[in-house]
Amino acid sequence: MLAYISSIWSYRYFWYSLVQNDLRQRYRGSVLGMGWSLLHPIAMTAILCVVFGGIFQQDYRFFGPFLLAGMAIWNFLTQSITAGCNSFFMAEAYIRQQPVPMAIYPLRTVLGLGFHFLIGMGLVIALSLWFLGWPGILPFLSIIPSVILIFLFGWSISSIFGLATVYFRDTKHLSEVGLQILFYITPVMYPPSVLEGRRIGILLKFNPLSPFLELIRDPLIYQKLPSIETFGVATVLTLSAMVVAYSALKASEKRIIFHL
Amino acid sequence: MARIELDNLSLTFKMRACKSITLKEFLIGKIFTRKAPPDIIVDALKNVSFTVEKGERLGIIGHNGAGKSTLLKTLAGVYYPTSGTRIVEGKISSLFEITLGFEPESTGWDNIAFRSYLQGETPKTIAAKKDSIAEFTELGDFLNMPVRFYSAGMLVRLAFSIATAIDPEILLVDEVLAAGDLAFQAKARQRMKDMMAKAHLMVMVSHDLSSIETICDKVIWMDHGSIRMYGPSGVVVKAYQDSVRSEAIAA
Repeated sequence: MLAYISSIWSYRYFWYSLVQNDLRQRYRGSVLGMGWSLLHPIAMTAILCVVFGGIFQQDYRFFGPFLLAGMAIWNFLTQSITAGCNSFFMAEAYIRQQPVPMAIYPLRTVLGLGFHFLIGMGLVIALSLWFLGWPGILPFLSIIPSVILIFLFGWSISSIFGLATVYFRDTKHLSEVGLQILFYITPVMYPPSVLEGRRIGILLKFNPLSPFLELIRDPLIYQKLPSIETFGVATVLTLSAMVVAYSALKASEKRIIFHL
Repeated sequence: MARIELDNLSLTFKMRACKSITLKEFLIGKIFTRKAPPDIIVDALKNVSFTVEKGERLGIIGHNGAGKSTLLKTLAGVYYPTSGTRIVEGKISSLFEITLGFEPESTGWDNIAFRSYLQGETPKTIAAKKDSIAEFTELGDFLNMPVRFYSAGMLVRLAFSIATAIDPEILLVDEVLAAGDLAFQAKARQRMKDMMAKAHLMVMVSHDLSSIETICDKVIWMDHGSIRMYGPSGVVVKAYQDSVRSEAIAA
């Protein structure tokens, strides 16, 4: 695995320049440019705050950063899946020219998304500090390993779904439907307490995305260190996704080209 | 150290009749054990063995679909053999499908960087080569334009200039000389000669038998995925020409 990672690293200029290029192209010709990646989550949060803040009777000081954190993580992880499905097809011309470790193509996808995720995180931090105050040094620093975990998890599932799509074209459409269902049982828009005591609340416990949401919300919104359990579950999830992604890539990356 | 050794190498393409199966077919196939449409199996390469040592120039000839380009891509490591072994020692530069793999929305300059990074360059080494690459393309201000506005010939100029800007130990070439306008062809030919003089080992696929004969010292004649003949270029090219001629007469 170390050899694999070091060969990914040796192509760093290649994927890094592609990611840079992807981001530049995305806002090419628009007046606000990169400003959109800042404005978009703010506008979404403001709208949702007005609509759902009333329904769930939440104070915007709490609900604003809460929503923003939820959407940043949700968008990053789900787009890692949906965009990851295309990552190998988009790279077909490169794959046909040069044998490189295939994980760099999902990495390209995830780094582009990660840029927007980090902007979202910056907004969450700013907003939560403003509305809710300083959470303390330890909870604040816990965000760093959490963000790394979320990123590695995103990269792994992106690779897994990318590979699956190469062999089963239906994966992309199936996952889109699946994510739509998942959205309603993930506490992105509503606080988990809304479902407490109801039978459907059990689903939240087994939702693989819940621990990642808690990792960010606990320190910034609830101003406490995430529990060892949350960290443990998130780490185990990430490590197993990485192992699955790595072994799936090892087993099939040499055959990808025959299925594109 | 440059060396290529193929030992009893075979490559089989297995394609499903309808490209790739859908989940429905997979489930139905599994649950009801109904027979899936049979796979299309193509033996692209069959038991190919040869060794190329440092200093040798190998040509590959044969009719369309004989496995020439497949063999070259297997040497490059793009295709992975189904069985047998491939040993390649040395830094490879490959010139095939060179007009693919550009980022269409990016400028020529940016694409020079992407391609060079893919070939293993770093920002430092590129800085030294960038201008000479640009100069060789003769594209001038077009390099500031997105590549999607380029004509086919301009793409070839750009791709060829980038791919030949490195000093490889092993050079793999597939029919690139036939592209570009006349002036560029002459220039490209000269650059190829310079590269071949520097490269320690070269493998070339071409339908241009006269250039194969002058450039290469050994030739492989591929026929339906296996080696039909392997030997000094003059002998093999002659045998190939005779066979093509007699087939033409028989037809």
